[in-house]
Amino acid sequence: MSMSRRDVLKAHAAAVAAAAANISVPAVAQPVAGGIGALEIKWSKAPCRFCGTGCGVMVGVKEGKVVATHGDTLAEVNRGLNCIKGYFLSKIMYGGDRLTTPLLRKKNGVFDKNGDFTPVSWDEAFDTMATRAKQTLKDKGPTALGMFGSGQWTIWEGYAATKLMRAGFRSNNLDPNARHCMASAAYAFMRTFGMDEPMGCYDDFEAADAFVLWGSNMAEMHPILWTRLTDRRLSHPHVKVAVLSTFTNRSSDLADIPIVFKPGTDLAILNYIANHIISTGRVNQDFIKNHTSFVKGTVDIGYGLRPEHPLEKKATGAATAAATQPIDFDAYAKFVKEYTLEKASEISGVEPGFLRELAELYADPKRKVMSLWTMGFNQHVRGVWANQLVYNLHLLTGKISEPGNSPFSLTGQPSACGTAREVGTFAHRLPADMTVTNPEHRKHAEEIWRVPNGLIPEKPGYHAVEQDRMLKDGKLNFYWIMVNNNLQAAPNNTGETYPGYRNPDNFVVVSDAYPTVTAMAADLILPAAMWVEKEGGYGNAERRTHFWRQLVNAPGDARSDLWQLMEFSKRFSTDEVWPAELLTANPNYRGKTLFDVLFRNGNVDKFPATEIPAEYENRESKAFGFYVQKGLFEEYASFGRGHGHDLAPFDTYHEVRGLRWPVVNGKETKWRYREGLDPYVKAGKGVDFYGNPDGRAKIIAVPYEPPAESPDKEFDIWLVTGRVLEHWHSGSMTMRVPELYKAFPGAQCFMHAEDARARGINQGAEVRVISRRGEMRTRVNVRGRNRMPRGVVFVPWFDASQLINKATLDATDPISKQTDFKKCAVRIVPA
Amino acid sequence: MSVLPAHRENVIRQLSDMSGVEVHHQAPSKIIIVLEGPESGVLGARLAEIASIEGVLSANMVFEQIERLADLGEQQ
Repeated sequence: MSMSRRDVLKAHAAAVAAAAANISVPAVAQPVAGGIGALEIKWSKAPCRFCGTGCGVMVGVKEGKVVATHGDTLAEVNRGLNCIKGYFLSKIMYGGDRLTTPLLRKKNGVFDKNGDFTPVSWDEAFDTMATRAKQTLKDKGPTALGMFGSGQWTIWEGYAATKLMRAGFRSNNLDPNARHCMASAAYAFMRTFGMDEPMGCYDDFEAADAFVLWGSNMAEMHPILWTRLTDRRLSHPHVKVAVLSTFTNRSSDLADIPIVFKPGTDLAILNYIANHIISTGRVNQDFIKNHTSFVKGTVDIGYGLRPEHPLEKKATGAATAAATQPIDFDAYAKFVKEYTLEKASEISGVEPGFLRELAELYADPKRKVMSLWTMGFNQHVRGVWANQLVYNLHLLTGKISEPGNSPFSLTGQPSACGTAREVGTFAHRLPADMTVTNPEHRKHAEEIWRVPNGLIPEKPGYHAVEQDRMLKDGKLNFYWIMVNNNLQAAPNNTGETYPGYRNPDNFVVVSDAYPTVTAMAADLILPAAMWVEKEGGYGNAERRTHFWRQLVNAPGDARSDLWQLMEFSKRFSTDEVWPAELLTANPNYRGKTLFDVLFRNGNVDKFPATEIPAEYENRESKAFGFYVQKGLFEEYASFGRGHGHDLAPFDTYHEVRGLRWPVVNGKETKWRYREGLDPYVKAGKGVDFYGNPDGRAKIIAVPYEPPAESPDKEFDIWLVTGRVLEHWHSGSMTMRVPELYKAFPGAQCFMHAEDARARGINQGAEVRVISRRGEMRTRVNVRGRNRMPRGVVFVPWFDASQLINKATLDATDPISKQTDFKKCAVRIVPA
Repeated sequence: MSVLPAHRENVIRQLSDMSGVEVHHQAPSKIIIVLEGPESGVLGARLAEIASIEGVLSANMVFEQIERLADLGEQQ
């Protein structure tokens, strides 16, 4: 049989795909030699730049430009697969409007808040910034200085930022956009297990007998993990999938148990399931006796709105929202007893039959269950509770910390875990789960950083939503935003965000690769290097730390956030920013720059730049004269080694496709807290939740409480916001890929046909989405991929030309301070 | 592609109506296809389109090769 070269190539491609998909093919279609190696492209590994899944990709570089990417067959996460966004990774850096020079608002040659953006040198940009920062520090002190970072920062960028803010400027006003994304998950981990991040990993996908999606549209947001889940479901007939959502989405296609509930009522469903487990005698008594303790939480905790809001004044538990009190199993059982099937069905609007089937998945001792959630749980005014209530179910049944039994919090950003959480860029955190409020933790951080004792401030800084409020109120006056598009992402942005950026008292700097709406509202824009234009490290949702090399140079004068942070630190001396008494007590720190004390401290500058393989560029190390990334990483890693957060040596990560921490004696840990699987659990213990001093995980009693705002006569429909398959977050990268733009060019309002008809709206018609805060215009879609129930509309937020966050409410979970983007009331009228 | 088994035949029918798409292998819940196009953007756009067909659970790219037509012995 003769085949043309074209036929051979196609057969080869199909065979590679079949191998990745694990299906057998005829012998004639086996892969042929040569393949991609035949091209004159240099291939290197990197994790994908988009979601928190952490797929491995191979990045092809030709003549200094990324020309192709494909799924890395050696990456355990995705095994060679590449989703649609991942397929277009090679194009995200080459949008026509890439920023290549600093831009300062100027009039008549000098900075003017109302001036036009004018190209300036880095020196002029940093000098202007430093003058403003020093003035702010002099006038109002460190609490008037703030930074908004990201779960897209590399590990060392987040680490350099936390050092500069907390130990340099002595301000804890550092928060990541991850606050909008998974703060509720992080708080719930700490409150339940005393340690952040999942105990399980993606290997659970191949071991579970049931999957329950609590407010996660994995089919569109985590397509590669969804492929693993669908493979398991379709190749094992006994496996069941339950999908809970406030509307029917693409993930519902696979659901054996499809559940559409009224917004916010998942809390009632969760308590009903706990009651079902108890009342049918399926509690794992040994497990709860030996490994859990019971608490009840404060109730009526408010909605994280401004303190003068009537809802906050009314909330009796707002001041002690995070407090808990010990109870016993009997008290807990009594508490959930009122959540009967009938009551849960009535509150949630879900058929009792589906609820009972769902409850049985958890109750059946023979069935291994993986619970998965993302923004449905986290962007929730009771998000911490929702997370904890699902842990209750896994703890009551002992279905945790072993293959297939896994409560698993998915993440939305590539380093939400690795940077925002592990490095500790939240307003209250330090590395390795430590907090600024704990004097021992501060002391430990000061020792590792080699800075004077008493330097790190004790009071947590402003969280994301509070930063916007403080900018508006004029209490936060110098503000630096990196790797995020908060003016598009923040809730109630016309009312609470934009006014702060344009407040004449404030100086706002945005570092980004593209002119986002946030950048265009700033006073100074700094052009940023992105992804493989710098050496990087990310941490994904399953505790996997993975690295990449710098593969190409950023265009023009664009520089990495790491370079920007470190270079800026040279413009400040300790005498200018640290208190005199501290310097009197520690005179050897006098007259040094922040760069000297933070980055030339004997740790960070320990490794020579010659350790970088000659074939790879590394602009930061070249600029500063030492291997910056390695020094920062090794100093950072010393926080967690020996404390359950062990990371491997820096160089190892450049060799492997990532490792899941804790990495002990060179071995990664797939499941934590169980003997034989986790090196930190001592022999004979069986299970040990060692994050808590008593080794027990907490089961919490908290009730269903309603959302901050529900539809009424005037604003008569629920608004839910979220994402779509083709675009990632605010679209600043994917909207610049022409094919993705064409595939989903603008936001839409997904709506039930009868809701549209009742308002005289036809398919495709332009409408106004109006709330008490603001309004936006978009077009109605009654037959798209999202099928809405009556009374609920869905609008994605990726579109900078149609800002749905003008309408959303800035209510947050009072414990995690994470915004609820899923529940507010609007009305829809023809435009 | 991962597909719901009950929809597979229908999905394959729809794929056969698309230009530059060939079905190479199939299993009850999987279809292996090869996409051909003049440049990578066309392939990605087609992939996005395929992902939204009813009954398709996911569509992911595994392998890509770029060739000049001249190297294949064909006229441009």
